[in-house]
Amino acid sequence: MSLEILLIIAFGGALLTYLLGKTSEKIRDFLAVVISLSLVAFVACLYGKSPEKTFYSGFFGLGLVLRLNMLSWFFAIAISSLGALCIIFSLSYMKGRERTDFYYSMMLLVNAAMLGIVLAGDLVSFYIFWEVMSWSTFLLISYNRGPALAAGMKYIIMSIIGSLAMLIGMLSLYVTYGTLNISEISAVIASASSGDILFILIIFSIAFGIKNAVMPLHTWLPDSYAEAPSPFTAVLSGMLTRMGIYGFLLVMYVMVGMKNVITHGLLNYHYVLSLVGAITIIIPLLIALIQDDAKKLLAWSSIGQGGYMLLGIAFGTSLGFVGGVYHTIIYAACVVLLFMAVGAVEYRTGGIRDLNQLGGLIKRMPIAFFGALVGICGLIGVPLTGPFVSKWLIYKTLILEGHPLLALIALIGTWISILYIYKFLHNMFLGQLPEKYKDIEKSPFSMRLPMIVLSVAVLFFGILPGIPLKVINAIGTSFGFESLNVTLWGVASETGTLNTINIFSAVLVTGVIVWIIFCLGTKSVPVSQEDSYAAGAYIPKDKYHYTAEFYGPLYRMIKPFLRDVIDEFYYWIAASVQRLCSGVRRMYTGDVGYYVTYIILFLAFLIFVQLKWKPW
Amino acid sequence: MVTKVMQIILSPVLALIVGVFFLGLARKIIARIHWRYGPPLIQPVIDMIRLFYQKSVSHGSMFDLGLILSLAGSIVVVLFLPFGQICPLSGSGGLLVILYIMLLAPLGMALSGGQGANPNISIGISRKLILSLGYEVPLLLVLLAVMTHYKTISIIEVVSSQQSTGWALISFPLFLSGLSYFLILPAILGLRPFDVSSAPQEISSGPMVEYGGKYLALATIEHAFVLFISIALFVNLFLGGAANPVIFFVKMLVVFVLGLCINAVFPRFRIEQAIKYLWKWPTLLAFVGLIITLAIRS
Repeated sequence: MSLEILLIIAFGGALLTYLLGKTSEKIRDFLAVVISLSLVAFVACLYGKSPEKTFYSGFFGLGLVLRLNMLSWFFAIAISSLGALCIIFSLSYMKGRERTDFYYSMMLLVNAAMLGIVLAGDLVSFYIFWEVMSWSTFLLISYNRGPALAAGMKYIIMSIIGSLAMLIGMLSLYVTYGTLNISEISAVIASASSGDILFILIIFSIAFGIKNAVMPLHTWLPDSYAEAPSPFTAVLSGMLTRMGIYGFLLVMYVMVGMKNVITHGLLNYHYVLSLVGAITIIIPLLIALIQDDAKKLLAWSSIGQGGYMLLGIAFGTSLGFVGGVYHTIIYAACVVLLFMAVGAVEYRTGGIRDLNQLGGLIKRMPIAFFGALVGICGLIGVPLTGPFVSKWLIYKTLILEGHPLLALIALIGTWISILYIYKFLHNMFLGQLPEKYKDIEKSPFSMRLPMIVLSVAVLFFGILPGIPLKVINAIGTSFGFESLNVTLWGVASETGTLNTINIFSAVLVTGVIVWIIFCLGTKSVPVSQEDSYAAGAYIPKDKYHYTAEFYGPLYRMIKPFLRDVIDEFYYWIAASVQRLCSGVRRMYTGDVGYYVTYIILFLAFLIFVQLKWKPW
Repeated sequence: MVTKVMQIILSPVLALIVGVFFLGLARKIIARIHWRYGPPLIQPVIDMIRLFYQKSVSHGSMFDLGLILSLAGSIVVVLFLPFGQICPLSGSGGLLVILYIMLLAPLGMALSGGQGANPNISIGISRKLILSLGYEVPLLLVLLAVMTHYKTISIIEVVSSQQSTGWALISFPLFLSGLSYFLILPAILGLRPFDVSSAPQEISSGPMVEYGGKYLALATIEHAFVLFISIALFVNLFLGGAANPVIFFVKMLVVFVLGLCINAVFPRFRIEQAIKYLWKWPTLLAFVGLIITLAIRS
């Protein structure tokens, strides 16, 4: 009962927002925030319950089922809370733009569709919600028109290919088992041959791989992330892309079951998938290094971080699984934070996101800087932020299971992230403040609030990771993984314990001691940014910030190897299809004589076939 | 409990003394190789005390906090490293945690320098980060080989298994990794020929250019800790740690002086040359070491 009400609020709210927006903007904004917050509260109240209900059974005899379990609750709470924060962030970001009614209602619709996906208990309703999500995402990506239309088109074409793959998988399941209810399928699939299981796994991997932007299916992501409005990019990068990870979990561990997926030997599905994850880490992160557009940089970085999640869940030990799922959720918080910081800067500087035109904004926008700082620390995985714990779990599982080369790729990925993400922070917030931004104001309250909430969350779940890890551990045990010994501040085991509270107290105490020593010295004199060392030379205004080609020597070494060949290949296919079609079009000359000739030639062909082989 | 607290207080103090001693020793040895007399051994201490009471400028709160974070981060790493039998916090996550906490120091320095708003700093940090990507590739290969060989991620267990089976540096596949670590040690320490990030003649000491007074003093202390950490890590991983701090110190001294003598006679690399060097021989050695370790294990 309650799951239906949840979805009715979510979808109805989207419609109502659009209608009310026609009367008053204030009421619409208020309503959008209230609906998104009430969804958070609603999902939070469902913790620990596991209702299941067939809400409609007339669909060709297939019941449409809603159900809740630990996995879907965990994703639902992340979706609803990140969605609510992004809507609050939109309040000032979207102020004064056109078609805002449409924007808010689509934001709520995307949220509702994602909730529907995680609550769906059968593949038909899963597919319906999945399509609603894809299409409303397309509308939001192309919201800004111009280059955004092309980005949206690229997204929707790849998305449709993914949906078709999913449809084929569903049809083959239906033909074989006569049902599309996920729990019924999982009960009977054990009897299937390994070839059938492999087919199901691969066909669904295409669908979810496109959504999660796994190499080589990633090409839609950089353009879409860069062109969508920033608060929606946050939703897109935070949870929407990660619906792919949810899909992988659903197919691998709920439907097919762990025992059928994890088999031993080198050439098998889950090992190949972890290799794909490793490739997805290293190449996009290197490409992120050479980006100059803040949002494109974060977009490529998101593809790479998706690789960590895939590596974790595909590897298939309890440590890796817990690490992968935790990384999915906590990384979402970090990347949402980073996109919000970019959005706040865009909002105040008039849409500038080119990393070579900003600088020194820490003085004007301290909270946005703080948010970005916590976000980049999380992205790197600095201790005391959440992603540190998830990455630690993934590395540890790779090393102890004897795959140091995969661990090497994951670790080097982290060091590459340090390079590009420091460039991101430095070029925007540190260094010299340009003259034209001397007087910009700090970000408005509705932007600061979500950033503060998320920063606190990333730090809190980094210091006390046990809270989410316990939930994920319960999910893992329900999938048949062995249970981990999770404490409030880490994971205890014989092969190496993690204790974040020790790290936290050590950093805190030494920090305080060093601070006291620092204060004991002679007090320093605050100086302006122009008062810095230039070997006695005059300091030119606006030109004393080192940003362009930040890692020049390294670029020159790696740039020749970093073309996005796959994207070029897809464009080549598109162009070839277009050429072929325009060739076929030439048949239609408009001259009746030609058409008569075609008909006669075709008849002659038929007569020839009949005389020669007598098929009819 | 009391011994634990004593160890927690003792190990950073010991590390500081050793690190500062190494700073003085380095100046003396390099001077002698250059046929100069060199400053007295305690010159760094004198400098630090003097600097601490001199005037300095501040460019803002991140400028101060970054430096504090950097120094605190280095001290925390010391708490996680075994020093002889003194290892107060080594049980909280092992080598992976050490690897990650070692990030705090450069990160803090980069944040602090960033607010310094001087292109010399930015260039220095950019070079430092490129260089660190250069030496992290062989370093990670080395660490992974050690962790795979001993089937653990705990540094205490690495040390204790060496005490029963002999030094890793003279065992078969790991001597390649040990050699590789020794080759990249000057890059980790930022010693010549790898002092690209602080090149005084090119970019006015890079990240240090805006520091004066107590900032410079704290940055020097931080450098002393980094010296201690990198060499202590080598001693723990490849020379079997030690039963007591004195032997540990002797081992560190040998490694440091050897490294210094080899590298004091080289002129500075350009950053591309440094990367090419780091990604060639040390990486190759470390990679072969890891592959052989993996083959033996399976």
